[in-house]
Amino acid sequence: MIQQGQEEPAAIPTVNIDGANVPFTEGETLYEICSRQKKDVPTLCYDPRLDPFGGCRLCVVELEGARNPVASCTTRATAGMKVRTKTEAIENHRRTLLELVVSENRQVEVDELAGYASQELKILVERYDANRGRFQGKQSGQSRDDDDNPFILRDYDQCISCYRCVRVCAEQEGDHAISVMNRGFDTRITTEFNGLLRDSDCTFCGQCVQTCPTGALADKKALKHVDVPGKIEKTRSVCPYCGVGCSVDLLSKGDKLVGVLPAMDGPANEGALCVKGQFAFGFVQHDDRLKTPMVRDEDGKLHATSWDNALDRAAEGLRAVVERHGREALYAIASGRAPHEAAYTMQKMMRAGWGLNHIDNCSRA
Amino acid sequence: MPSPTDAEIFTRWANTEAPLLPILHAFHDRDGFLGEKAIHAISEALRTPIADLYGTVTFYHHFAQQAPGQSAPRVCTGPICKLKGADALLDAMRGEGATPMACSGRCDDPVPVLKGHQTLVACDGQMTPWYSPIPIPNPGGLEECVFASIREPDRGTHDGYRRTGGYLGLEKALATDPAAVRQTISDSGLAGRGGAGFPTGRKWDAVAEDPRGPKTIVCNADEGEPGCFKDRTLMDLDPHAVIEGMAIAAHATGATRGFIYLRYEYPETAQILERALKEARATGLLGGQTGFDLWVRRGGGAYICGEETSLLNSLEGKHPFPRNRPPFPVTHGYENLPTVVNNVETLASVPPILSNGADWYRQLGTGEHAGTKVISLSGDVLRPGNYEVPLGLPLSKLLHEWAGGVPEGRAIQAVTMAGLSGGFLAREGLDVTLDEPSIRAQGSFLGAGGIMVLDDSRDMVAVAHSAMEFFAHESCGKCFPCRIGTARLTERLGSGGPASFESWREEVDDIGSTMKATSACGLGMAAPLITESLARWFPDQVETHLNSTTS
Ligand SMILES: Cc1cc2nc3c(=O)[nH]c(=O)nc-3n(C[C@H](O)[C@H](O)[C@H](O)COP(=O)(O)O)c2cc1C
Ligand code: SF4
Ligand code: SF4
Ligand code: SF4
Ligand code: FES
Repeated sequence: MIQQGQEEPAAIPTVNIDGANVPFTEGETLYEICSRQKKDVPTLCYDPRLDPFGGCRLCVVELEGARNPVASCTTRATAGMKVRTKTEAIENHRRTLLELVVSENRQVEVDELAGYASQELKILVERYDANRGRFQGKQSGQSRDDDDNPFILRDYDQCISCYRCVRVCAEQEGDHAISVMNRGFDTRITTEFNGLLRDSDCTFCGQCVQTCPTGALADKKALKHVDVPGKIEKTRSVCPYCGVGCSVDLLSKGDKLVGVLPAMDGPANEGALCVKGQFAFGFVQHDDRLKTPMVRDEDGKLHATSWDNALDRAAEGLRAVVERHGREALYAIASGRAPHEAAYTMQKMMRAGWGLNHIDNCSRA
Repeated sequence: MPSPTDAEIFTRWANTEAPLLPILHAFHDRDGFLGEKAIHAISEALRTPIADLYGTVTFYHHFAQQAPGQSAPRVCTGPICKLKGADALLDAMRGEGATPMACSGRCDDPVPVLKGHQTLVACDGQMTPWYSPIPIPNPGGLEECVFASIREPDRGTHDGYRRTGGYLGLEKALATDPAAVRQTISDSGLAGRGGAGFPTGRKWDAVAEDPRGPKTIVCNADEGEPGCFKDRTLMDLDPHAVIEGMAIAAHATGATRGFIYLRYEYPETAQILERALKEARATGLLGGQTGFDLWVRRGGGAYICGEETSLLNSLEGKHPFPRNRPPFPVTHGYENLPTVVNNVETLASVPPILSNGADWYRQLGTGEHAGTKVISLSGDVLRPGNYEVPLGLPLSKLLHEWAGGVPEGRAIQAVTMAGLSGGFLAREGLDVTLDEPSIRAQGSFLGAGGIMVLDDSRDMVAVAHSAMEFFAHESCGKCFPCRIGTARLTERLGSGGPASFESWREEVDDIGSTMKATSACGLGMAAPLITESLARWFPDQVETHLNSTTS
C-alpha cells in the first residue's frame, strides 16, 4: 500500500500474457516477452538475430481488441495489452499451418548433421501431430543438384520459403548473395540469374545453412558422416583460424570430428562463422597429417625422428640464429591449423624466452 | 527517336525520386526485355545488390527476361474475359507469342490485348486500339460527384477542365488553413474508395500532425482487382481531377512530393497523365513556387502492389512484399516518412467536396451513408460499365434499372463483390444495399466496388476456380497461409483434393479459416471468401463438380 507522503513509484508498463502481468521494456515484441516467459510459442521464420519478418504466422497470438490474431514476432508490446498464447483456436490454426507446410515438403525428417536449426520443422510437426497427409497437392521448390560446390547442399525440395537464409545473408553477412525469385507458390531461393553459388557473391560462410529450419540448405561436409556410428557429441571450442575468437561447437562421433556448429552464444561471433571456421576442419583428421616430428638431414630430405632429437635440432637452430644476428632477428608465426595449446606455447617461448613480441598467426579472416 | 544509351537512361533517372521502376521501364522499352547485361548495369548504377535486383525483377509479371518480351501480345484471361472467349483468342494468338495476363481492368470492353504500349481489341477480325468509354449517365438523373462533369467535352485538358469548374477546389483550399481543409474532408464523411474504407480526413490528420518530413502523397492507381476499372476511367477522362485532389491533399498535410503508382496494364493512361502533369506544371499548379510536385511511376504487373505497403516497397525499389503493420504508412510510409496513400477515386472526390462543401457530399448518399461510390459493373448485364451510385442504393436497382438486367431469357445466378475479394452473393444475398454494413452482413464487402454479374448459364465452380487461380498467381509468397493456401484451394476447385463433399468441405474450411485469421495482408484474408461463399450458396454445384472429376 502506498503510504501518505510517499511518492507513487513510476508505474512499470506491463502486458498481460495468459493472465499474468509481465513487465516489458520499450521496443520489445510480444514474442520476445513470451519467450522470456517460457511460453514456447512456435515459429519457423524467426531467428532472434534477424529483423522479425512475419512470414510463417505460427507465432500468432490472440490480442484482446484485435479482429484477427496478431503475429507476436512483429507486434511490439504496448502497456495494457492482453494476450493469449495458446487458445484452442490459435492451436488449431498452428496445426493447419503446419499441415499445409508438410503438404509441400517432401521430407520432414532430416539428419541433425544438416545444420544447427535443421530439426525445427520436424520438432513442430511432431508436437502438433501435423503429419496426417492432409492438403495434398503440388510441391514447391526445386533442388539444385547441379550446384557441385563442396560445402552447401541446396536441396530446395525441402524449402518452405521462410527466407531466413536470404535474410541472414543480407542482414548478418552483408553479402546479399541469395534472394527470392518469382512469387506465391513459385517463389524460389536464387542467386543472381539463378546460377551456382560459386558464381555469386557467396563467401560460403554457411550462415544460411545454420539458420535453415528444414535442412533444405545443409552442410555437405558434415553429412558425409551420417553413417559413422555413434551419438553426436558437442564440444565447445574456439576457432583457431584467426584472432577474432569465434566460439564453435565441435561435433564428434566417437573420436571422429564430424562437423562444426557456430555457437549462438559465442561472445565474439554470436553465431557467425566464416568459411574456414565453418567448413575447413578436414585437416584435423586428414591422412596426410604428420604424426611424428620430421627433420631435414644432410641429404636435403625430411626424415621422421624422435621428439627429443627434433627439439634439440630446433633449439640448436634458434641458438645459432641468435648468436649470429641477435635475438631481434627472431620472428614466430603460429599456424591457424595448430591447436591452441601450441599457439600459446609459441608465444610464451617468444615473449618469456627471448623477451620478444615478434609473433603472429598465419590466418587472416 | 534513337534509343537511349545506358548512360542516357541513368542520367535521366538515377537522381530522381523512386528511380528503380522508371529505369527498369526504360531498359524494358529499349531492349524489349530485361537481360543480364541490363540488370548488371542497373545494379551498378543504383548500387543495388545484383541478386536482390534479379529476384525483384522476376516478381513482376510483365518484365520479360528474354525476347520476344515486351512486344509479344498479352491476352486478358480475367474472369469476365474468360466468359467472353479469352481462352480461344489466346490460343489463336499463340503463334504471335501471346501469353495470358490477369484481369487487365477492362471488363466492360471486348477482350483486351496488350501489345507494347497499346491496348487492342478484336473488332471484325481486326485488332484496333481501344479507349475508355464515357460512363453512361444514370437513368434517374441522380446527382454525382466524381462523374458530375466527366462527360463534358475536353474535360481531359487543362483548359477544358478549368472551363467546367476544375481547380476551383484547389484555389479554395489554398486560401484556407490546412486544418480547416482536413476538417471539411472529415465532415464530408469521405472514406477510402480503394477497398478498406478508412476515413480520409483521419488519414490526412495523422500525416499532418507528424512532425517529420518530407511528406508524400501517393495516389494508388494500381487497380489490380479483377472486375474493377473505375480508376482507369477517372484518370483517362478526368486526369486533372486526380492531380487537383493530390495538390489539395498536399496542402492539407504539408506534403511536398507525390506519386501516382499506375498499374502496368494502363499504358495509355500513363501518357494521358504525363500530358496533364505537363499542363499543370506549365500553368503553375505544380512544381516551382507551389512547393509540391508529383510523378507517375508505372508498376510491372503485380496485384499485390496495390496493397499500400507493398506499393511503397515497390516505389522504393525493394522487393514488393507487404510490410508488417503497425507502423502504418501515415507515419512510416515512403522512405519511412509520413505518407498519405489514397485511391484514385478518393482523391478525385476531393475537389468537388472542397468546391461544394462537406454537407453537399454527405447528402449525396442515402440515409446515413455519406456520399457516392463508383461501381464497375461487368459480366452478364445489358449495359456494363462504371456507375456512380449513392451509397445505400439497392443492388437490384443498379442491376435492373440502371444496367438493364441480364440478357433476355436468363436470370441472375450470382454476383461477385469487391471485384473478386468479396466472394459471391446469391439468392437472398442479392437483397443488399450498396454500402458496407449491408453487404458485410452477408459475409462479404463492397470494397473497391467491382461487381461481376453471372447469369444462370454459368458454371460457378469454374468461375471460382479461375478466381482462386488469380489469387494464387498474385500471392506474393511472403506468408505461409496465403502462399500455400491459395495453391491448395485452387487445386480443390480444379481436379485435385478429396473426392467426397464432406472431406472437401473440411479441408477447404480449415484452410480458409486459417487464411482469414493468420494471413499477413488482405489478399490472403480475402481469397477464401471465394470458397466460403461458393460452398454456402452453391453446395450442389460443388458436389456435381466433385462427382464429375472422380468418375
Ligand atoms: C491485395 C490488396 C490489393 C489492393 N489493391 C488496391 C488497388 O489496386 N488500389 C487501391 O486504391 N487500393 C488497393 N488496396 C487497398 C490499399 O491497401 C489502401 O487501403 C488504399 O490504397 C488506401 O486508399 P483509400 O483510403 O483512399 O482507399 C489493396 C489492398 C490489398 C490488401
Ligand atoms: S554461405 Fe554465407 S554468403 Fe553464401 S549464401 Fe549462405 S549466408 Fe550468404
Ligand atoms: S532454404 Fe531453408 S532457410 Fe532458406 S527459405 Fe528455404 S527453408 Fe527457409
Ligand atoms: S497474404 Fe498473401 S499476398 Fe499478403 S503477404 Fe501473405 S502471401 Fe503475400
Ligand atoms: S515467427 Fe512470427 S511469423 Fe514466423
